[in-house]
Amino acid sequence: MMRPEIIKHEPSLFARLARRISVVLGIGAALLVTAAWYYAETAANKAYDRLLVGAALQMAESLSVEDGTLTVRLPTSAFELLGLADRDRIFYRVIDTHGQTLTGYDDLQSPAPLDGTRDVSSVEEGVYKGEPVRIARATRVLADPAVSGEAYVIVAQTNEARSALTRELTLRATILVLVMSLLAFVGAMLAIRYALQPVERLGTAVRRRDPHDLTPVSVDVPRELDPFVGSINHFMGRLNERVDLLQRFIADAAHQIRTPLTALSAQIDLLGADKLDKAGRQHYERVRERTGELARLTNQLLSHAMVIHRADSVQLEPISLVDVARRAYRAAIPVTVDPDIVISFEAPDDRPFVLGDAVSLREAIVNVIDNALRHGADQRLEVRVRATEAEAFVEVEDDGPGIPPEGWEKATQRFATSKSHEGSSGLGFAIAQEVANAHGGTLSFRARDERGFTVVLTLPLLKGEPK
Amino acid sequence: MIRSMLAVMIALLISSPAAAAEDNTTQFPAPQTESGRLTIYSTTDLAAMKPLIEDFQKSSPDVAIDYIEYLTNELNALAAEACRKEEPLGDLLLSSSVDQLLKLANDGCAEAHTSPETARVAEWANWRDEVFGFTYEPAVFVYNTRLVPPAEVPRTHVELADLLRERLDYYRGRVGTYDIRLSGIGYLLAFNDARQTTTVFGRLLESMARASAVARCCTGEILEEVAKGNLYIGYNMLGSYAYQAALRHPELRVVVPRDYTLVLSRGALIPKGAARADLGARFLDYLLSERGQSIARTNAFYFSETGSLPPDVDGPQNLKESGIAQPIRIGPALLAVQDRAQRQRFIEDWAQSLIELNSPAWTRE
Repeated sequence: MMRPEIIKHEPSLFARLARRISVVLGIGAALLVTAAWYYAETAANKAYDRLLVGAALQMAESLSVEDGTLTVRLPTSAFELLGLADRDRIFYRVIDTHGQTLTGYDDLQSPAPLDGTRDVSSVEEGVYKGEPVRIARATRVLADPAVSGEAYVIVAQTNEARSALTRELTLRATILVLVMSLLAFVGAMLAIRYALQPVERLGTAVRRRDPHDLTPVSVDVPRELDPFVGSINHFMGRLNERVDLLQRFIADAAHQIRTPLTALSAQIDLLGADKLDKAGRQHYERVRERTGELARLTNQLLSHAMVIHRADSVQLEPISLVDVARRAYRAAIPVTVDPDIVISFEAPDDRPFVLGDAVSLREAIVNVIDNALRHGADQRLEVRVRATEAEAFVEVEDDGPGIPPEGWEKATQRFATSKSHEGSSGLGFAIAQEVANAHGGTLSFRARDERGFTVVLTLPLLKGEPK
Repeated sequence: MIRSMLAVMIALLISSPAAAAEDNTTQFPAPQTESGRLTIYSTTDLAAMKPLIEDFQKSSPDVAIDYIEYLTNELNALAAEACRKEEPLGDLLLSSSVDQLLKLANDGCAEAHTSPETARVAEWANWRDEVFGFTYEPAVFVYNTRLVPPAEVPRTHVELADLLRERLDYYRGRVGTYDIRLSGIGYLLAFNDARQTTTVFGRLLESMARASAVARCCTGEILEEVAKGNLYIGYNMLGSYAYQAALRHPELRVVVPRDYTLVLSRGALIPKGAARADLGARFLDYLLSERGQSIARTNAFYFSETGSLPPDVDGPQNLKESGIAQPIRIGPALLAVQDRAQRQRFIEDWAQSLIELNSPAWTRE
């Protein structure tokens, strides 16, 4: 037993994909920017460290022994070299072979212990006068008889130019990463939209389907949707089987009922009315009428089953609508028809052709005419066939009361008639509509005017000449 | 000019009893209600700064100014000491020894200042927005027209060296220059002379030593001596002082050397943590502004980077266009100038060359 439940709305596939992709892109962008910042800092440090090391080497080079004492002539060029980082402060210290400060800032320390083993190009971080600095050190080995040993030059520089360069490089990289992320996001969104189109298409195809069409869905879908389409088709197949089974059952049942019913009719006819008294005759008449109705209903059920069966299985072929209608007209008007009713059949000379199943169409027209005779026609019944450029019409007009517009929709439903007390089976219009739909046509009504009420069966005209 | 000097003297006389605890302090009371007191420590002669200060007070009448004068080395020592103790010295330092200001800034003793006015400063005259050059002063020769015959007037450094060699007896003890032991600016100029051309400077130094050149602490003293006729030629004088002296003493003449001319830009620096750094910045902006520069050109420092030379100056038409101007760049290279080993050795060499040779008795104090 299915119960309607409050369905919690899962977010759309698009939203789910969009969210996950933006998270991934966001994390990617953050990682890239971090990496860019790291590389930018490394690059900036490398660039300016070279200046620092160069200056330290120049200063170490300027050390010389004069008159037995170590003297230093700091080259201006070393400071000009450092001045290329034009906003940075410069600190330096020259240490002689005894570890005494020769010149410069006495309290400037090298982070590494003073010995000659250190690689000159390695530059260290440090803090001096409360400012973060980069510190380079150059060693000068002196082998003068008066002064021998190792002298050191320590040069430190603040980080402003490095930071500025790092900032600039990082900013540029960040802009690139952001632009790329944005492009990737937009691209991904477009791709998702494109990828989800088949789902939309499949949904539309299933939604637009005729409710009676239980053939497999044949929309072209990507491989990923095959299981889904397969499930739908499997389900439809099973449904189709059940519907077939049901229809066969109805047909079988009707067929089985028909034989005893014919016997029953014959028996009633044999019974005769003349031996009965007035009340008995009344009952007899009613039994006869009901039996007739039952027979007609059984026939209609069979006819309905047949029409549906043929719609599924019979190949449509070009047929003359006039011929079919005429045959139906003859079959529908019984010999016992009320002679007071004027009955006519009108057909054009050009004999419109339609693509159809003659048997089903005849059945449909018979049912419409029968319906008109039974419930409509008072004194006049006209059957007309006519055609326009693209369509052919079979119109059945009578001078009866007709069906009010609000009842039109209901009239074509099975067993739904307002006149069941008059013995209507209510299957006539249903059969006619079934047939019309199977032929790509419609069954419609034209409101009552001074001439009468008209039922119109519209069918598409066959294109080209019939074979 | 004499009248204006008198006015200065009178102003000094009037203001000094009221204020100065030190006799090198000059007070400029606020023309209107005082809302702040700006203290300027400077190495610039009051006479040069006075027109600027007075004009500044026209646009900022609520600011009183204490103007305190020192020699460059004294000021540097005071400022460095103050910075070490974190007791900022005044609200604005003005010094012609930009190398000392640069060292102070490098040691973290300066406050950065940026404004539309500082943006106008030439790139070579601004370091870290902390040290600004606000003048354009060529280092010039000065001579006494009565004592130096026109044919002998030196117009390049080489000519000066040759003149001293050729007319050794006439010029012995008659050439004056800075005593770089006492004057920071003298050291800065001498150091840069040495950097320009080692040979010419060596020759010049040798010639001056032979001619028993006189070394004095300050431009003013030498100019005075040249004006009096005790000295005939002054070497490496600051153009602004020299020109002002020439205005006062018609017999003085200024020569802008034609081979190269060192150009010094007087430096300004706002000490870190200055009590009225805002006023310091305001005065600095004034000095750098169009108006301040124009007052400086007409009344205080006479030379400018863009204009032509003042009248009656012997030299090229336009310093900048002639290409001989060598501005002393305010940048880290000045740290090499300020290096104490460098300084010590340079001064020793200089003193050995110039002083220890015999100089006339009257020059010894």
